[in-house]
Amino acid sequence: MPEAILKAQEIHTYIGQHHILQGVSFEARPDAVTVLVGRNGAGKSTILKTIMGLLPPSQGSITFRAREIQRKKPYEIARLGIGFVPEDMGIFSNLTVEENMKVAMLREDRETLQRLETITDLLPDLRKFWTAAAGNLSGGQKQMLAIARAIVNKTALLLIDEPSKGLAPIIVEALISTINRIKEHSVVLLVEQNFHMAGAVGDDYYIMDDGLVVRGGDMEELAGDEAVKSRYLGISSAVERSE
Amino acid sequence: MKDQNERGIEVTGAGAALKRKSGAVSFAAAVALFILPLLWIPGKIYLTLTIAGLAMGMLVFLIASGLSIIFGLMDVLNFAHGALFAWGAYTGFSVFKLMRAWVGADSVLKNVGVFSMAAAAALLAVSVLGMLLERGLIRRVYGSHLFQILITFGGMVVLVELIRVFWGPNDEVIVQPLTFRGSWDMHGVIVERYRVLCIMIGVVVYTMIRIVLKKTKLGMIVRAGVENREMVQAMGHNIFRIFTGVFAAGAALAALGGVAMSVFDRQVYPDMGGTYLLFAFIVVIIGGLGSITGSLLGALIVGLAYNYVAYLVPWAAAAVNVLIMIIILLIRPTGLFPAGR
Amino acid sequence: MPQTPVQMHRIGKKKNRFRGAGFFLKTGMLIFFLGAPFLFPSFKLVDLVMNIIIFSVLVASFDILLGYTGILSFAHGMFFGIGAYCVALLMGPYGGPSYVHLALGLLLAVVTASALAVVISFLSLRVKAIFFAMVTLAIAELAIVLATKLSAFTGGEDGISLNMPGIFAVSHRVGDFLGTQIGGRVFTYYLILFGSLILFSLMIRFTHSPLGRVLQGIRDNTQRAEALGYKTFIFQVVSILFGCVVAAVAGGFYAMWVGYVNPESCLGVMTIMLDVLLMVIIGGMGTLYGAVVGAGLLKTAQTFLPDLQHLAKTVFPNAAFIHQFLERWLLLFGVLFILVVILFPKGIIGSMRGYMARRT
Repeated sequence: MPEAILKAQEIHTYIGQHHILQGVSFEARPDAVTVLVGRNGAGKSTILKTIMGLLPPSQGSITFRAREIQRKKPYEIARLGIGFVPEDMGIFSNLTVEENMKVAMLREDRETLQRLETITDLLPDLRKFWTAAAGNLSGGQKQMLAIARAIVNKTALLLIDEPSKGLAPIIVEALISTINRIKEHSVVLLVEQNFHMAGAVGDDYYIMDDGLVVRGGDMEELAGDEAVKSRYLGISSAVERSE
Repeated sequence: MKDQNERGIEVTGAGAALKRKSGAVSFAAAVALFILPLLWIPGKIYLTLTIAGLAMGMLVFLIASGLSIIFGLMDVLNFAHGALFAWGAYTGFSVFKLMRAWVGADSVLKNVGVFSMAAAAALLAVSVLGMLLERGLIRRVYGSHLFQILITFGGMVVLVELIRVFWGPNDEVIVQPLTFRGSWDMHGVIVERYRVLCIMIGVVVYTMIRIVLKKTKLGMIVRAGVENREMVQAMGHNIFRIFTGVFAAGAALAALGGVAMSVFDRQVYPDMGGTYLLFAFIVVIIGGLGSITGSLLGALIVGLAYNYVAYLVPWAAAAVNVLIMIIILLIRPTGLFPAGR
Repeated sequence: MPQTPVQMHRIGKKKNRFRGAGFFLKTGMLIFFLGAPFLFPSFKLVDLVMNIIIFSVLVASFDILLGYTGILSFAHGMFFGIGAYCVALLMGPYGGPSYVHLALGLLLAVVTASALAVVISFLSLRVKAIFFAMVTLAIAELAIVLATKLSAFTGGEDGISLNMPGIFAVSHRVGDFLGTQIGGRVFTYYLILFGSLILFSLMIRFTHSPLGRVLQGIRDNTQRAEALGYKTFIFQVVSILFGCVVAAVAGGFYAMWVGYVNPESCLGVMTIMLDVLLMVIIGGMGTLYGAVVGAGLLKTAQTFLPDLQHLAKTVFPNAAFIHQFLERWLLLFGVLFILVVILFPKGIIGSMRGYMARRT
């Protein structure tokens, strides 16, 4: 089995006095999409923010490409090749789409510009609204912009937090196909509550509950396991069929 | 109007309509401010006062713009800003003292030269001071407004006292270089030369700030940081170094204002920062924190109001600006241009 | 009937009220203040103790706003000054030295302070903390300007002198007792001490009252308090009102003791407000008793600073820079302030309480 590109070991994170992550451990292997699923408040967003350096862990270690990163600052972590798409997308509303992309591009060399071309080919809406204020884009377009920003540099690992939240099903489909394209170039660690999306793009899964990873494995086997799904994700087959 | 250019495309929807409306209200209020005094002040004096008001406004803009950007980006309220203004003025004073000959010389080149040198020295010295302040004090208190206020208040006291230690506690006279003295008489309207210079300086600085913010990558990052500091960091930019830079720039602007103001007033005194800091606060509240255009308009309002009222009811001049500030706070607490422009 | 943990904690606290270091310290302080005029023959020291008492009340009232309600107002010094001026005006140019005028002066102080406090509290609720701090600073500066400019009314920069009436008059003499001259001064001392004790007790009761507790809840987490149904707004108004009025009365006491008010000494931001900030930070925010500690330390230091300067000159006769530095006592206080804020943000009492809490 190939060496994991990202390894989290026994991560404890506090927000104020609240012990949110109580010893989280998991791995993301290369050439795969790893999905973290779980109910609201399980700590999924927190673990992404901890990896990104936005929340310092009180204990534990995070290794990226065999380098320990848990003490690094967010901008150092970003420069190592980790891209981040937060839950609220983090779009700069008062800047244009072009300016959003420019802020994202760490170097404006040929490689990056070529990547930009490819991305705007994949997401033509960005080109269409290039000089428009990013705040005026629709929810789905903003999500695409957020993802575009995170992959315009040479990203080895992409962290995405609940991309399908609040989006119409047809946009979610577009999102799924986008992520499936991205995974050819970059490892993806995805946090999702929407199981349909998780199942459609995920290769590996980990279930989080109350600040701990309780289960992990192959996505295919989870898809068929009704008991686990209903216990940890609150999903019943009746609900799922209606999605 | 300015709003549209900055946004790039038409803003639509109910929210935008409201914004346009309050833009119209502000516009109307500004016009009223301009026109009303004509009821009581004879035309020619009115024009002189207007020039004086605009000039004073521009100088206040210099000190307020730094404060506004620093708060907009770093969420830090710097009570020591007035002290930086004073340090700039005193640095300029030292340069003037050193180059006495050039100040008194009857040569445009020498006069402008010494003024520029004073300004440059002030800019340099105070940006360094600003960097030290940011690294030494402010960094420790990011996130807590209360401690920022306390620590920068302390910083202000210390900096002002250090002025007394290094330069002495007395008021010092600044001699206006010959070129800047005097006024032009345009059909009975007296227009002081130096005031026009101040207005020009203000316009140039405003334009430069806008260009840096809009056209440079650094400006883009700063504008993005004003909206979402965390995200900018997560995108690979060392926001702390940017903070230090922005703080130094804000301090430099205050210093420039200090030099210009000292020549305007023809004096420097250790507490000069206090009065102008207050004006800066008022401007920032009127104009909106984080908005350069807001600072400009707020500053012009403050300058004009002060001068008109000073002519009509001298003792109320200081009070009228506090009054305007309170009114704005009650009606539109976020200011005329809430965070962004 | 089973009791909740909170009730049991409170009952336990009540039982231990008369034991423990806290109680002894407080009693000791009280005895000290009561006996001061007799302990110290020199007027300078009695003056120091009186100032400590008055400023303890002022700083404690500031702590009600800062430590308990979470509001930083630079206008607090202004309220002190307003109180001082009210008493001075009614005992001086607009009245005369009589008991009635003294009472009226204090009453005027309370009324004026209440009116202004309501305005200030509305402002504070309308805007964020930062704006509020700026606005109060602006208002405080404005007050100084007005007091100086409207000299016909306020005596301008020269200020107003006043004399205490009847048995409190400086000239009144009764005799000697225990080696100390008993007269107007001593009576005034006890009058002010008595008033201050009442005010201080009121403040303590206020913070321990249900109202006070709600306030602390509001300070710690405003949203939660609102979600719990408390009209946070009213509580904050009441608290600000209380704090500002007490400050004004303290100002009245100051005028009574010193006999002279002017803009610089009573309204000045650099004089009164900086001192208050220093005292509350050194003593400890949110502790009320910290005010006494802070006021005690600072006032003592201020009183003996000239002696310290003299000492430094004799010990280091050639270090002109040190002389300069010490001469600028404001500089010293500024540096001290910064150091305390950075290193010692909880203040003396705050740190002590933290230490004791960790011990148990």
